Formats: sequence, structure tokens, C-alpha cells
Amino acid sequence: MKENPKVSYPLYESFKDKLKPKRSQAQMVLSKVNVFSRLSWQEIKIIENAIHIRNYAPGEPIFKQGDPGSGMYIIIEGSVGIFLDIPNQSPKQLSKLGDGDFFGEIALLDESPRTAAATSLENSTIIGFYRPDLMNILRTKPALGAKVLLALSEVLAVRLRSTNGELVKITRHLESQEGSEDHE
Amino acid sequence: MNNNPPIEIAPQSLRLFHQSLFKTLVYFFLLILVLAGVYKAFPLVIDALFFIVIAAIMTAVFNPIVDRLESSGIKRIYSTLMVFGGIFGIVGLGIVKGIPALLIEIGKIRDVIQQNATTDSLDTIMKSINLKIAAVVPGFQLDPDMISSLSAQFFGQLGSILAGALDTVATIIFILIITMFFLVDGTRMTKKLIGMVPNRYFEMSLNISYKTKKQLTNFLKGQLLAALGVAIQSIIGLNLLNWLFDANISGVMLIGSIAGLANMIPFVGPFMGMIPAIIVSLFNNLGDPVAATHFYFIVHIIVMFLIVQMIDNNIISPIVVSGSMDMHPLTVILLILVGSKIGVLGMFLAVPAWGISKVIIQEVYQGLKGHHLI
Repeated sequence: MKENPKVSYPLYESFKDKLKPKRSQAQMVLSKVNVFSRLSWQEIKIIENAIHIRNYAPGEPIFKQGDPGSGMYIIIEGSVGIFLDIPNQSPKQLSKLGDGDFFGEIALLDESPRTAAATSLENSTIIGFYRPDLMNILRTKPALGAKVLLALSEVLAVRLRSTNGELVKITRHLESQEGSEDHE
Repeated sequence: MNNNPPIEIAPQSLRLFHQSLFKTLVYFFLLILVLAGVYKAFPLVIDALFFIVIAAIMTAVFNPIVDRLESSGIKRIYSTLMVFGGIFGIVGLGIVKGIPALLIEIGKIRDVIQQNATTDSLDTIMKSINLKIAAVVPGFQLDPDMISSLSAQFFGQLGSILAGALDTVATIIFILIITMFFLVDGTRMTKKLIGMVPNRYFEMSLNISYKTKKQLTNFLKGQLLAALGVAIQSIIGLNLLNWLFDANISGVMLIGSIAGLANMIPFVGPFMGMIPAIIVSLFNNLGDPVAATHFYFIVHIIVMFLIVQMIDNNIISPIVVSGSMDMHPLTVILLILVGSKIGVLGMFLAVPAWGISKVIIQEVYQGLKGHHLI
């Protein structure tokens, strides 16, 4: 049986590659973060112009516990440890974050002190998106700023609901413990 | 007799010694070259810094307008061009229409002063003033020649300042171009500049930069709005004096503008704004025997400026000036004295410049303290 030769269109092929939009690594990472995932590529490009890409060495602090919060961080490459400083003890590691993870987003909304410290665990490339950047976007592109704020509120609402659920569980557990102690 | 063997220096240490000596000499030579370059280029650097600072202040003033236009969907570059179209339009109109008219006005006043300097009417005024002063301060006398020469000098200098302003149009255009670049690309430039800050100080620097910019914009906006308020009120007030009391004050627009600008200097400013109006009315009323004897027009001017100050201090300034200068009178006097070393412009700029520096220092201090760096 004679095999059909594959028809190729060299002109189309060469244009296809050129016409294909080129996305930077930062754009790709941003598009996967909840806060920016619903934005168009054009809007993500505006966000990309506002963000700051920083490189951290292993063990280098990103922020310390108690520092005034300024913004959120998204890991492009590397890993970050979130630590809780306990007086007279070595810091307790709460979690380890990797590529595409984000942290510190509450600081976009208020300047209250950081509740934990973040330290780079290896050579890491991290995106910093700070309150001044968000304020700039809100001032010059209010519609985009509102989209980001809405998405941020949704992230926080999900987190609040989950925390409330945890709180209910703990309260029930404590109540049942108290009940069993009274019974004894 | 010294039997100690001669000290031998190992060839390697000698080579190292020569190398380090050579390095030191090279560094010393380079240092001298750099110092000589800095010394030669210093005036240029100062000029460039001056342009940049003025452009940065203008950027802080116009940025909110560009932002507002951009937020309505117009691209930043077009928003900036629109603002600059407006600025060039107003400046152009001012140069074409305003400055020649002002120069004619100043020339007229100077002529009046020179013509009347030796006339009887000036003597009459001086005698009357001296009589009134003698009642309060015995023995104090004003010399008519001194007053006329001082006034002629004042208006002569004002004329030369304005004529000089025409020569510096090129400088103004240069500053406007820098401002335009700052407005279009300011955010990217700031981002690049802050990007060079080490990670440890990055968040703090970004916050300080943002807050300082915000404070500076509010401060300048407040100051300019208050100055505009005083200028408009003074123009209305002086026109009212002309209309109601025939005060015969010419150059009302110029006097009002001077009063508005002078108002940016606390304590001293309001009086500085009053002086040109009094001098102009004094010399415009030389021919009027009744006015020249009683000087009621001076009282009217003083009362008018006091009313303007009351409105400014109690209504306008509390609303528009968010970052009050809050300075001790002694600080203001010292600043004006220091500023006077640079000239009239220095006297005008010393207090606002100190106000801006104060805002920056406060923000840097709070930022360093917040990040536990001090």
C-alpha cells in the first residue's frame, strides 16, 4: 500500500512560529497564580511591567518576622521556607514552597507586620509584586486593578472559609474533650 | 663594631613590595585624575542636578493629571503629550502676550518713579509720612532720595529678571523635555533604579520611594493650590480696591501672582506680597494731592491683604495643604537668610525645599525604623 506523503507548507510553517506569541517565563508563572489567572495576556503583560524579579541566595532572608508587609512573592524557580520565630528557640519551619507557589499576599492590602519570616532555601528567582505597584495599577488602569483586587479577595475568602472550618473543628474537639472530662 | 649580618630581603618579598608600591601609585594617580575630573565637571554636575531636581518637582506636579488621563483609557504617551500641549500653549501665550505687556507696565512704573523722584509731590508724601512716623518714633526720618532710588532699583531689577527670563526660554524647554521623559517613563526609570538596591533594603526602598513620591505630590499640590488661591483673591481684591476706592493700582495680575508665589514662604511671604502693591499705588498716586496726603489707599491695601490671609489661613490652606510645613519662625528666617546667598530665587525656594527635604527625611527615618535597621 502506498503511503500518503505528508503535505508540508514551508511558508505557513515558518510564519506559524513567528506569529506564535512569545511568553516570558514570568508571564507564564503569573498566568498560573490565582490572583492573575483570569487576566488576559495583554493584562498580564501590564502586570509583568509592574513586578520586580529578584534573585536570592540560599539562606538569604526575603523578609523577616515583624517587618512591615509590602507585598506578595511568587516563586519562579527555587524554594522558600516559611519560618516562625519562637523566643529562646530556633525558628520553626511552617512550610516549604516551590516553583509557582506564592506567599505574603495579605501584605498587598495592609501594612501590618509580617507574621512569619520567609527565607530562600536554595538559589531562587522570585517575583515581587508590592502594594506601590498595585496602587500604581489602580491609579492608571483602574479596571485591571479592580480585577486583581477581586481575585485577591476571592483567595482571601477561600482562606478565611477554610480557617473558619478549622476553627469549628478545633472548637468541637475542645468541647468534646471538656465534656468527657466532666463526665469522668 | 657591628657584627650582625646584613639583612637579606628575599627577592619574592621585594617583588611583592614593588608591586604593591606600584599599585598604590597607580591608585593615587587615578584618584588625582578622578578628583580633577570631578573638580572640572562639578559645575556641569550641579547644573544637571538642578535640571533633574526641577524636572522631578514638575513631574510630581503633573503626574496626577497624566495618571487621570491614562485611567480614562488614553495611552500614557498621549496623556503626557496632551498635558504638554496645554503647558506649551499657556507658556507660549504668556510669552507672546504677557511678557511684553509686563515689560511695558514695569517700564511705565519706572518712568513714573524717575519723573517724580525730585518733584514736590514726592516731598509732600515724605514729609507727611515723616510727620506720622515722628509721632510714633521720635527722631526717625525717611529720605525721599533713598526711597526713590530703592524703588527704581527694585523695578529696574524686576525688568532685568523678566528680560533674563526670556533668554532662559531654552533652559525652560530643556527642563520641560526632561519632565516629559520622566512623566512617560518615570515608573520604569524608578523600577530600574530601585532594582539596583540589595535584597535586604529592597522592600524598604520601594516603600520609601512610593510614600515620598505621594507625600511630595500632596505637598506640592497643596502649596500650588494655596498659592493659586492667594493669587486669585489678591487679583480680585486689588481690582475691587481700584473699582470701589479708585486706588489706582496698575499691574494687578503681576502683583497678584507675586503675592501668590510669596505666600509659599510662611510668615514673611504675606508681607512680601503686600510690598509691590503698596509701592505701585504709592507712585501711581503721586499726582493726586488728596491721596498723597492721607495714604488711605495704603491702609486699604493692607486690610485687603490681611483679609486674603485670613481666608487663606482659615479656609483654603487647611483644605488644600495636606503636608503643612509646621516650622519654627526662627527656622524660616534662617532658611531665608541662607537662601538669600543664592539670590531672590534662593529666598523663594529655601523654605519649600526644606519642606520637601523634611518629608523625605521623615519617610526614610520611619522606613529604616519599621524594618529594624536603626
